[in-house]
Amino acid sequence: MFRKFRKKSPWILHYNAGSCNGCDIEILACISPKYDLERFGVINTGNPKQSDIFLVTGPVTFRSRERLVELYTQMPEPKVVVAVGSCTCTGGVFRDMYNVEDGIDRYIPVDVYVPGCAASPELIIDGVVKALEVLEKKTKAMEKPRKLFSEATTKEGIVDRRECAQKVGEADAKDTE
Amino acid sequence: MSRKTINIPLGAQHISLLEPVRFKFECENEKIVGVDSDVGFVHRGVERACTTKFKFDAVGYVVARICGLCAITHSLAYTVAAENLLGAQVTAKAAYLRTLLLELDRIHSHMLCLSHTCENAGFEAMFMQIMGDRELVMEIQELISGNRVQFDYICIGGVNRDITAELGKKILENLTLVEKKVREYKDEFLNNWSLSLKFRGVGALSLEDAYRFNAIGPLARAAGLQTDVRNEMSYLPYKEIGFVMQMQESGDIHARNMVRLDEIQNSIEMCRNIVNGLPEGEIITKIKGKPQGETIVRYEAPRGELMYYVKGNGSAMLDRVRIKTPTFSSIPAFSEIFLGQEYADAPAILASFDPCLSCTAK
Repeated sequence: MFRKFRKKSPWILHYNAGSCNGCDIEILACISPKYDLERFGVINTGNPKQSDIFLVTGPVTFRSRERLVELYTQMPEPKVVVAVGSCTCTGGVFRDMYNVEDGIDRYIPVDVYVPGCAASPELIIDGVVKALEVLEKKTKAMEKPRKLFSEATTKEGIVDRRECAQKVGEADAKDTE
Repeated sequence: MSRKTINIPLGAQHISLLEPVRFKFECENEKIVGVDSDVGFVHRGVERACTTKFKFDAVGYVVARICGLCAITHSLAYTVAAENLLGAQVTAKAAYLRTLLLELDRIHSHMLCLSHTCENAGFEAMFMQIMGDRELVMEIQELISGNRVQFDYICIGGVNRDITAELGKKILENLTLVEKKVREYKDEFLNNWSLSLKFRGVGALSLEDAYRFNAIGPLARAAGLQTDVRNEMSYLPYKEIGFVMQMQESGDIHARNMVRLDEIQNSIEMCRNIVNGLPEGEIITKIKGKPQGETIVRYEAPRGELMYYVKGNGSAMLDRVRIKTPTFSSIPAFSEIFLGQEYADAPAILASFDPCLSCTAK
């Protein structure tokens, strides 16, 4: 049931890591009645612990990078990161400025890149739809049953399932052999 | 007896904020008694890059990336400064087209601010309505310049695109629609009882404080301080197209909203006059040479006075570009307004300033 609704209504966390506001107001325009991303159940939430899709704008300034990583780690799995705008993807016009870190993929893994300065609402919606596919793929990968292959190890009295399980890919490879 | 206060942070990332800014409120029960603000999260170093990385003819497009909302004002202010240094004159038609885009930008920026204030006061429906109607203006901008937000419309010597007769008709059509909507909003903002509870008498700035803390833009005009660069300057034909300074007395959120609504109406009127009375001529004049000397240019951005200082040394690289942005000047006034207000009103008050942090931090 959770899986169904996660796909149906992803929640968005938006963070401005030093952008010019252009992409931010286009994200707002996406939510507004003309493009109306909300009809797909997408809600802009300010809480990282409740969100599935992380929309980042801006080339990551020196001071915002810690917050960026912190927000990313606070989001629950599965999560998808969408880089909105040219400067978020590569640094764009701000590349090589002294306080800029040239794109977010130096700090967090990015799943979807949305180009454009400023990225138009249509492109952002395309990016979010693409992010939904990635989200579903990640969900499936997470929910795939893992085969136990070794003794259960306990860490401080708690059985760690991840430790004793095979990686998803490995298990599949063994099956086919 | 010792005072017991609670510190509540707002930001750096918050649902009511578009941009990272941190306010630390010191609260006594619900009342705010102290404010500490931190605005430097989005500092990128544009000023330095303008003098080391880009040649003077590209800087106009770089400074537009300081802020997406007042992009046109930034590039215009820089371009006029560069033209002053080169000793160039633009045609009357180019000046009119520049003013047109400037005023359209002001309309959509003010609409965004009004909708955001409504959202932060808890009136989601109004937010959606204004954002929906704002698309009419965005559509015109896209038709004129080719992009919705970052226009890159103004270049040294004139503007990059002309408007056709059909486009002129479309502009007038959309503006008429927007004007009708704005009249409805005005009625709503004046007469809606629940909005009045959130806006009237909240976040007030007195005339003396506005003067003392050097408030500018709609913030100062709402408090009754007569300051508007459009009234004083002569590079753009504001006198001919019917500019009227909009004033209010009370200085609260309601007054700021009314100033913005009045300015939208005035801007629509000006845009209409520009489209109807557009002079004939070329849109661009060829300019040769390298900038030499120094100059100061002031313009009225949607949020207040924007000042550019540009110094050239006769080569393609500039010596210095100094940008003084409107929000930066208003921060002392912001902090003063917060004192003595309820904490629950803080997001609405903050939105009513229409702060632009990417301008502030550059």
